[in-house]
Amino acid sequence: MTWIGKIRRVGRIVEPAPAAPEPTVAPPTGVRGSLQLRHVDAGSCNGCELELAGAFSPVYDAEQYGARLIASPRHADGLIVTGVVTHNMHEPLLNTLAAVPEPRVVIAVGDCACNRGVFATAYGVVGSVADVIDVDVQVPGCPPTPDQIVTALRSVTGK
Amino acid sequence: MTTTVLPAAAAELGEGPRTARLAREAIASGLATTLLGALGLVLGVVAIFGPTRHLRIDWLLPLAGVRFDVDPLGGLFIAVTGAVAVAVGIYTVGYAQREHWARFPMVVLPLFVAGMLLVPAAGSVPTFLLAWELMAAASLVLVLSEHNRGAVRFAGVFYAVMTQLGFVMILLALVLLSAAAGGDAFTTIAAHADDMSAGTRTAVFVLTVLGFGSKAGLLPLHAWLPKAHPEAPSPVSALMSAAMVNMGIYGIIRIDLQILGPGPQWWGLTLMILGAVSAVFGVLQATVATDLKRLLAYSTTENMGLVTLALGTASLLSASGAPDVAAIAMTAALLHVLAHAAFKTLAFLAAGSVLAATGLRDLDKLGGLARRMPVTTVMFGIGALGASGLPMGAGFVSEWILFQSLIHSPPDGNTLLALAMPLSVGAVALTTGLGIASMVKAFGVGFLARPRSVAAEDARESPMSMLTGMGLAAAACAVFAFWPALVAPALRGVLDALPEVGGDTAGVQLATFLRLPGIDGSLSPALLAVALAAGVLLAFAASRWGARHRPAPVEVPLWACGAETLSPRMQYTATSFAEPLQRVFDNVLRPDTDVEVTHFAESQYLVEKVTFTTRLADPVEQRLYTPVVGAVIALAQTVRRAHNGSVHLYLLYGAIGLLVVLLVAQ
Ligand code: SF4
Repeated sequence: MTWIGKIRRVGRIVEPAPAAPEPTVAPPTGVRGSLQLRHVDAGSCNGCELELAGAFSPVYDAEQYGARLIASPRHADGLIVTGVVTHNMHEPLLNTLAAVPEPRVVIAVGDCACNRGVFATAYGVVGSVADVIDVDVQVPGCPPTPDQIVTALRSVTGK
Repeated sequence: MTTTVLPAAAAELGEGPRTARLAREAIASGLATTLLGALGLVLGVVAIFGPTRHLRIDWLLPLAGVRFDVDPLGGLFIAVTGAVAVAVGIYTVGYAQREHWARFPMVVLPLFVAGMLLVPAAGSVPTFLLAWELMAAASLVLVLSEHNRGAVRFAGVFYAVMTQLGFVMILLALVLLSAAAGGDAFTTIAAHADDMSAGTRTAVFVLTVLGFGSKAGLLPLHAWLPKAHPEAPSPVSALMSAAMVNMGIYGIIRIDLQILGPGPQWWGLTLMILGAVSAVFGVLQATVATDLKRLLAYSTTENMGLVTLALGTASLLSASGAPDVAAIAMTAALLHVLAHAAFKTLAFLAAGSVLAATGLRDLDKLGGLARRMPVTTVMFGIGALGASGLPMGAGFVSEWILFQSLIHSPPDGNTLLALAMPLSVGAVALTTGLGIASMVKAFGVGFLARPRSVAAEDARESPMSMLTGMGLAAAACAVFAFWPALVAPALRGVLDALPEVGGDTAGVQLATFLRLPGIDGSLSPALLAVALAAGVLLAFAASRWGARHRPAPVEVPLWACGAETLSPRMQYTATSFAEPLQRVFDNVLRPDTDVEVTHFAESQYLVEKVTFTTRLADPVEQRLYTPVVGAVIALAQTVRRAHNGSVHLYLLYGAIGLLVVLLVAQ
């Protein structure tokens, strides 16, 4: 039983979480602190993916606020979309959204996803995410920092 | 005009009588098989409970005469064979018509059954060998029924050589026995068994274990089994896998456990090692097999391995002075023989039904049969559940008893037992676990999801007679899964006749509750099933109740990973399902894998196509058989030099031979 005692003695040794941001949308499931997201890369340069990975890494630990990345859109409460929507990813994005049960949220991460970013005049681009589907939360930045992503997620999880 | 119409009309005219004749022949053949089986079943059951019956026909075989002694042990194996034949016979009526069997296999099928029924009934060495050869020759003919396919011919030759090799060993062993006993009746041999020299006993043990082990599909002489069983027509595969392999087990019990028993400890240990290795090897090959019938054939090796392990345990324990636990192991062995016969008959018949409907054995091309062949699917499911050794399956109770006997060996400081038993527990556990994986693969990939080929898409359910045959086997599976107490009196009768392996002790009490005397462990398969069914019903009701307030369901397209439609190519295949296991057991399985990448001519950064080939050969066969076959061929080449076709030379050989004979005889 010593290890249990040790856990009790040491307690939590994380930095205190910063104050919760203003809520942007209500948690889709109606429960605070539970947000299951399916990630879709609609045509990103992978810069946003790296920051997303940072946001869910042990350092920023988005999961402590109840947000999780999961594999199946059937189990998800929403999508987290990165990158500008390309022709090739247009259909798959729509199909993936259709597979997410309602009510759901769509979070667009990065300048590309919000307003086409650096790919504004590029060929093969359909538009920003909002041009294609309804977006609830936008995270600006090229790429946004993990802090910004975590803040945006907390504004949905409500924690 | 008339010339073009005539052949077509003639063919049409000929078609009617031909199908009618085929139907008549199929019914006759199936009925004969069924009746023979029923007769065997009745006689076997009578023999288990009655006194030993004798029958002598002196004129039938020159010099020796034919002699039958049917005792409880033989009766059990006759009854099992008969029961299998009943189901297979009914099934054959439909199968032979659907597959357009020739007349020859239809005639040989009842003969094969007769041979198998006579083997356990034989009371003397010549009779035994005669029946054994009848069985072997008839099965060989049946394996070759589709001899216009090359694979069948190869399997036939392989089978012929190996079965005769096994026969030679059995022949030698039995001849040694009768010479040492001074008589060829099994009763005489048994009476003189104790006076035989240790050398004779050892030689007979080794020869019989190899010879009978080969028939039972045990390593290392198992290689004919995964070749011949898949290539034979499915009713024949069922007979071979569910009944013929049992004859190997019967031989081991009769000669090594009963007549020569109780043997020294190393006999039991040898059987245990052979059984454990066969079980693990068989199940490993079954998990990576993609051919449905090959998978089932390897599963036969696995199950016969388990039976042999149980036999070895019984022998070792009774030699170590623990007859009460030995009797439990023996019960496990006998019960597993029965259960295996039930579920393997069912599985092979269902596989035959799939083969007849689609022409496919390759799991990677099957799928989607649950909609198209619902009855066959359920039947195969029952068989697969039995083979995986899970509760509610036919193989569960016997494997549970085997586990109990292994765990509860006496802890009296015997180093041999202390080592052998835990290792066996590990082997059996590994076997059961992998067995589940292989059966999940066979059922899940073969029958569920979407069809992977046009042939599987066009599959249609089998005719009534085939379904009836499978239904009988399924009923037998249900007996072993839920109410094994039904066969308890029969097992008791056989055990009473086997005092060599603790048959005179209390043994397993099979009733509503299965109890092991002296061991606190009990089990009630029937109550377990009731509890499980109640649990399922309760969960269903609870979920319905919980769903009262849910919104009405909506129709959404299937999730295809973002793609537009779900194609059968996205499904798990048998190969991909087994891939992780294949990787883990890479050192044992030694797969031959090849990845070939072709680039576009313009740039080597663009890939035109990737070819992936993997071939899984039987490693034992490759390592052990290839050198032996090579050596035999080399030897034959040397001998061939003496045969140059010159008549003069042959005359000289004849003269030399005669001279030698004269000199020796002088
Ligand atoms: S926003 Fe910037 S980092 Fe993110 S995908 Fe676009 S270009 Fe890359």
